Amino acid sequence: MKKKSLISLLLIIAMLVMSACGNSDDSSAKDGEKKESGGSEEATIEFWTMQLKPTFTDYIEGVIADFEKENPNIKVKWLDVPAADLSQKILTAVSSDSAPDVVNLNPTFASQLADLDALVNMDEAVAEEDQKKYVQGAWEANQINGTTFAIPWYLSTEVSLNNKAIYEEAGLDPEKDIPVTYEDAKKVAKTVKEETGKYGYFPSLDLSLVLQHMVKMGADLTNEDGTKAAFNTDAGLKAFEYFTELYQDDLIPREALTGDQRSTIDMYQAGQVATFMGSQFISQIKENAPDIYENTLPSTGITGESGKKTISVQNIVVPEQTESKEAAVKFALFLTNAENQLEFSKLTPILPSAVEALEDPYFTEAGEDAEPVDLVRIQSAAQLDESELLIKPMDNYDELRQAMYDAISEAMLGNMSPQEALDQAEAAWNEILSK
Amino acid sequence: MRTNKLTPYLFLLPGLIILGAFIFYPMLQAFWLSMTDYNMIADAEFVGTTNYENLFQDDLFWKTLTNTFIYLIGVVPALVIIPIFLAVLVNQKLKGIGFFRSAYYIPVVTSLVVAGIAWDWVYKENGLLNYVLDILNIISEPIHWLTSTQTAIFAVMVVTIWKGLGYYMIIYLAGLQSIPNDLYEAADIDGANWWQKVTRVTIPMLMPFVLIVTIMSSIAAMKVFEEIYIMTGGGPLHSSETLVFYIYTEAFDRLNMGYASAAGVVLFLITLVLSIINIKFMGKDNTA
Repeated sequence: MKKKSLISLLLIIAMLVMSACGNSDDSSAKDGEKKESGGSEEATIEFWTMQLKPTFTDYIEGVIADFEKENPNIKVKWLDVPAADLSQKILTAVSSDSAPDVVNLNPTFASQLADLDALVNMDEAVAEEDQKKYVQGAWEANQINGTTFAIPWYLSTEVSLNNKAIYEEAGLDPEKDIPVTYEDAKKVAKTVKEETGKYGYFPSLDLSLVLQHMVKMGADLTNEDGTKAAFNTDAGLKAFEYFTELYQDDLIPREALTGDQRSTIDMYQAGQVATFMGSQFISQIKENAPDIYENTLPSTGITGESGKKTISVQNIVVPEQTESKEAAVKFALFLTNAENQLEFSKLTPILPSAVEALEDPYFTEAGEDAEPVDLVRIQSAAQLDESELLIKPMDNYDELRQAMYDAISEAMLGNMSPQEALDQAEAAWNEILSK
Repeated sequence: MRTNKLTPYLFLLPGLIILGAFIFYPMLQAFWLSMTDYNMIADAEFVGTTNYENLFQDDLFWKTLTNTFIYLIGVVPALVIIPIFLAVLVNQKLKGIGFFRSAYYIPVVTSLVVAGIAWDWVYKENGLLNYVLDILNIISEPIHWLTSTQTAIFAVMVVTIWKGLGYYMIIYLAGLQSIPNDLYEAADIDGANWWQKVTRVTIPMLMPFVLIVTIMSSIAAMKVFEEIYIMTGGGPLHSSETLVFYIYTEAFDRLNMGYASAAGVVLFLITLVLSIINIKFMGKDNTA
């Protein structure tokens, strides 16, 4: 037994050493490399991505090699950061004046940095003709207070995944009964629950999703100039009532309130949920639950009276602190050009933000032997035109989001009526917006 | 022989530099930041006691502080008392006792993220615990362990206790082995039974260790974060949100570094006071 504890001790030490090395990598990468890069001078740029290793290592390294071949005077150092750590890491880097030169972020977080003037304005850094090469909605997703703080990278729109087996078990027809609207989803949830005891619908309420649900159901979040809450209306109330009813009648899992998206995928993969919107996890489902994957039928995302659909955008920012701005922007444009994006989207079900890449038949035609993964991609591309960024970047966004989440929780848990909860959210929003 | 008076300090220096750079300097920095408006990017702006004034008016601060105390009251007694009995149990000279010692210690070396996810499955509506209780006919409806405002914080506490038992057991085990055998022999002669030996010999001799464990587990309970982050995210409706979690969200989700630092300073002061009380109250009889 002593031997075993010794081995575990050694393992722990090894892990500590490894993690320490991992850290030193990040910091040493910055050392002695900041050189001026006007035009043809030597430059080394540091590039951070969000959780792309190891699946896309070959792809990213390939793009970097191509870029360095074209631009022999620019060297690119790539660092991949876990998604959960990225915001902290970039903040720490910016505050210690050692920001990387090119970073992959999402608009919500990037807008917080942009708000603090920490990011290069792409309206000025990118030529107008180059701006036009991107899908307009994706380009506009990265704007706050009239400036563009990022270049769009890859996109996705919401596609539902439906477990055909559960539909059939509940006596429903997967071709006809798959929900398109929230009301359909409620009906499916009822039937599936009654017939099978499983959950028909699992709406995630994590992060900004409550706000998205409300917008889809036709509520405006704020007035035009973003100074007052505007959601205390019939549409807003309907949204609150909808989720309260589903939750209290046990038509959606109680984890909807506490779980993150992990619990949604877990339950779908376990065959306990018939429909959820999580097509971005399709590859994961294929790997973890091949049986469920076989039975999966992708369909258009669930929406409300507004008919709106949401688009998610990954972007590329250049921090204002960079000393190689020109080289950094050049690399950002290279990474997001049509050719490189097309190649990237062939590796995983994402959509490119480059217009030219989207015209490829890969996004329009399903082959004979199309798998769920292919159907997700084609469905996603087909609805790109009708999709938009539903929640525009806002100041103090995290507080606003939390206030709404708290209010709808009060209603769902039965502590308040939906109307009282909506009043509370409105008061909280007005206070935050007036800051 | 002449000894240079500076020599001992020279030996202390490397440790002091490390402590100074990574503990004391950041602490002082936090005190300073708590009186500024700081978002990590723009320069910190001095605002006096505004952060503290806002903090004391913030309902959520009071709620998370209350939760922290509930956590403290729930976790510390369990972590002080249960490990004593575990230590007594694994202190027997039995064949394969090393296995049991390791078994109790395994939760300590398990990554909290892994443990949190595993416990998440245990606690799910249709998870292991509800299943077992259902089979045993103890419940008819699943209990909402992590999804009800009444139970979430207690469910998470169990994980903290489960994970800490082995660690404090080892401390007590070291304590037990330092108790001279003569005392037990004397007790045997006086005709004491097993229970009397535990309560009259073992526990009094362990008091210095109880003190250490109390302080260590109180500080750990005040700082609890990962379990909550992984299992409930502070929910539902902040019912399992502790002060450290609150500080984390204010600092890293909302970039209110100054405000978060103020909350951090309050947490520091509370921990300090608790530790002093512990030492004064429990350490007066033994100067060990």
